[in-house]
Amino acid sequence: MPVALQLVDIWKSFDGALALAGASFESRAGEVHALLGENGAGKSSLMNVAAGLYAPDGGAIVINGVTTALKGPADARLHGIGMVHQHFKLVRPFTVAENILLANRRPHFSSGMKAIRAAIRKQADELKFDMDPDRRVSTLTVAEQQQVEIVKVLVGGVDILILDEPTAVLTDAESESLLKIVQRLAQSGTAVVLVTHKLQDVKRFADAVTIMRGGKTVATLDPREATAEQLTELTVGQTIALPTRTELPNGPSRLNVGALTYARGDGRIMLNNASFHVRSGEIYGVAGVSGNGQAELAEALIGATEPTSGEIWLDEIGDISHASASVRRDAAIAAIPADRYAYALAGSLSIADNFAVAHIRSGRYGGVAMIKRREMRKDAMAAIKDYDVQGARSVSQKASLLSGGNAQKLVIAREFSRNPGVVVAHSPSRGLDARACAAVHERLIAARERGAAIVLISEDLDEILSLSDRIGVMTRGSIVAEFERPADRQAIGRAMVDHA
Amino acid sequence: MHDLSKQMTRSSTPSAAATSHRFGRITLDVRQSLPPWKQAVFVGGSLLLGLAISVWILALAGISPPQLASELAGVVSADSLRGVLVQAAPLILVGLGASLAFRIGFWNLGIEGQMIFGGIFAAAISIYEIGPPSTRLLLMGIAAATGGALWVLLVAFLKIRFRVNEIIATLLLNYVAMYFLFHLLYGIWQDAKTAFPQSTPFRPFERLGDIGYGLNAGLLVAIGSVLLAGWLIHLSRVGFYARFISANPRMAKIVSVPVQAVTLGLIAASGACAGLAGFINIASQEGRLTQSFSNGYVFSGVLIAFLSRNDPIVIAVVGFLIAVLFITGQTLQVFYQIPFTMVQMIEAIIVMTVASSEFLVRHRVRWIR
Repeated sequence: MPVALQLVDIWKSFDGALALAGASFESRAGEVHALLGENGAGKSSLMNVAAGLYAPDGGAIVINGVTTALKGPADARLHGIGMVHQHFKLVRPFTVAENILLANRRPHFSSGMKAIRAAIRKQADELKFDMDPDRRVSTLTVAEQQQVEIVKVLVGGVDILILDEPTAVLTDAESESLLKIVQRLAQSGTAVVLVTHKLQDVKRFADAVTIMRGGKTVATLDPREATAEQLTELTVGQTIALPTRTELPNGPSRLNVGALTYARGDGRIMLNNASFHVRSGEIYGVAGVSGNGQAELAEALIGATEPTSGEIWLDEIGDISHASASVRRDAAIAAIPADRYAYALAGSLSIADNFAVAHIRSGRYGGVAMIKRREMRKDAMAAIKDYDVQGARSVSQKASLLSGGNAQKLVIAREFSRNPGVVVAHSPSRGLDARACAAVHERLIAARERGAAIVLISEDLDEILSLSDRIGVMTRGSIVAEFERPADRQAIGRAMVDHA
Repeated sequence: MHDLSKQMTRSSTPSAAATSHRFGRITLDVRQSLPPWKQAVFVGGSLLLGLAISVWILALAGISPPQLASELAGVVSADSLRGVLVQAAPLILVGLGASLAFRIGFWNLGIEGQMIFGGIFAAAISIYEIGPPSTRLLLMGIAAATGGALWVLLVAFLKIRFRVNEIIATLLLNYVAMYFLFHLLYGIWQDAKTAFPQSTPFRPFERLGDIGYGLNAGLLVAIGSVLLAGWLIHLSRVGFYARFISANPRMAKIVSVPVQAVTLGLIAASGACAGLAGFINIASQEGRLTQSFSNGYVFSGVLIAFLSRNDPIVIAVVGFLIAVLFITGQTLQVFYQIPFTMVQMIEAIIVMTVASSEFLVRHRVRWIR
């Protein structure tokens, strides 16, 4: 098969930080080529260069054998390169057809709409998408929005399709069907680039894989011939040891959640008499299909929402279900929310401020009258070193400039710096690469060994199974079954589905 | 991400790019960062542009630039500088008032109403002769701050309890305060001697006088408030909390920032500053409660806070400059029969030009031929 896209020795830096250091890549028509790497390895940057979004500082872009200087994304589209971004670029109040028309202009609106509608129908039929051109984007699920993004790119006609982390936001079943469609697209002659950090997707669906590390492409190989260990070693640079856990004797019960109920503003019951207890020195995993009340449980535990009824009984403190956040802080509850930027960090403020804010009430950083900035910076500096937060050139830098994994490490550094008695972690490794994920898990296990009671709420069953001492399955706002370690994966899966 | 979305918009207009090549084409990029000195150049440049437009309009109104220059020189000369400093005090205080509320995202447009209630509370102390003469002035100041704070806390309560929009509520309560003031001045507080709608004059010990070097005591109150606000925002724990409340209130609550207390405290401080501004106007300039001592200050307060980026120390400087503009405006009004609304128009022009410099700070505009 001919080489459709060739990136040769691409260099790119942002504000002096090197993002790409001589990366090279080749994609052939008719194959799915995976681009594998950790967070921040430069995958998205490299593909943004290919899509004309970033102008490279050095290197060449060769499209169908012709060296081309892309003047912008529109120019890239003219050359047949289309990209579906990780964060969708859709106008939410517009309909599907309007969004697609916006990206594929026609000279006249009404006749253009007609043409676009026909094109959508044809494209959706080919891909077997069930797509209504007149639905508003804001009413679509995440998976449906992604389909719109894909159709939007294909309607314009592409030879080279780049998908940036397409499965990050999808459920397993949705990912599977999407990747099958992607495979079919490749078989019809399109060159598909699949940016991902999921090994399984690469092994099952890619024809070739290029691995990136630290802004460089380190290897290109056939994923069917490489073992998972080899791929991991190439992405990470070294193999990561699985967390070792020591067996601890059963501790005393620390946290008792009793008949916790929460009805949303629209009357929908999200938590329905959820009850469980967590011992000290124990990780209690809450498993379940996403949307069964896990988010609400986490919010009630960390104090983001007040439950309608029921209690959260903390040993030696009492019921904290309506207590303020400061009471929870004083009771040494650490909160690791799923949405870091919404609940755990103020992106526009500095890393030092974000680190210090949770301790300022203790008087560690000065009294009410005078805050001690130097102390804050010193502690934050020590913490980012200790917790291996990378990408921070200084602690005065804005927290929003950290990548997802490093932002999460910063949150954990702050929450664990007081030796927590209770940890509430909701999807703590979502969006993190293998190394960051392992670091987070190690911290949770260390807290367990220090005697903390840990509630681990996660939709990732592997994470739950590898870490938890006991597992509760959450369905429709209740804990419907509990399993002791070692738990039977199949039985948990059945419990998740049976009660739904 | 922001960057991408902007460029995506550009990408989706290939036809426009293709057809307009005859005139070249303008492209927009979002800047990642801009060094502070360049930001200063943009802001300073647009300030100059605003002033140039103002000079031009004044020339159309019959004041030639040389005449304007000599008037300006007169204003900043030693004699009139006194007047400028007297005028600067309330302006600095309303600027502080606006900025303290803006810092936690509370759009206080009720500064005039809070000034009026500050004035009414202070005048009440004088009219009902509360406290001994030696502490009367201090008591009037405290009453004014309390009056301003209470008037804005009413809206804070409505916002927290019933989610009433504070922009509309504070703005419209200005009229309620104004008519209540009229009610007093045409009624029980009317000066019996003159029968004018104003209170009886304050006694000498109820007035803010000179403190030497031609400085008015009102300026001292303003500078003291600037230092206090500077400490509160930059050094104290409250300022630290306030940054989190405006950056991410949901997160602030979870990491145990006392969101409600800090919010209410700063809103109250905002009203208190406005109340003090009202007190200074009646106790130093007018010497009695009048109908119009708060006119136009809400706009100036917002302007000063905006130009100073809510920084208390910068507010002192900008407040002084706006005072120069006010006094110049008054002179022009007397000698050239220019309406005083011209001053407000110049203020508006400067706001617009400086606000548009923000666009250049955030974006890079290129014209490709």
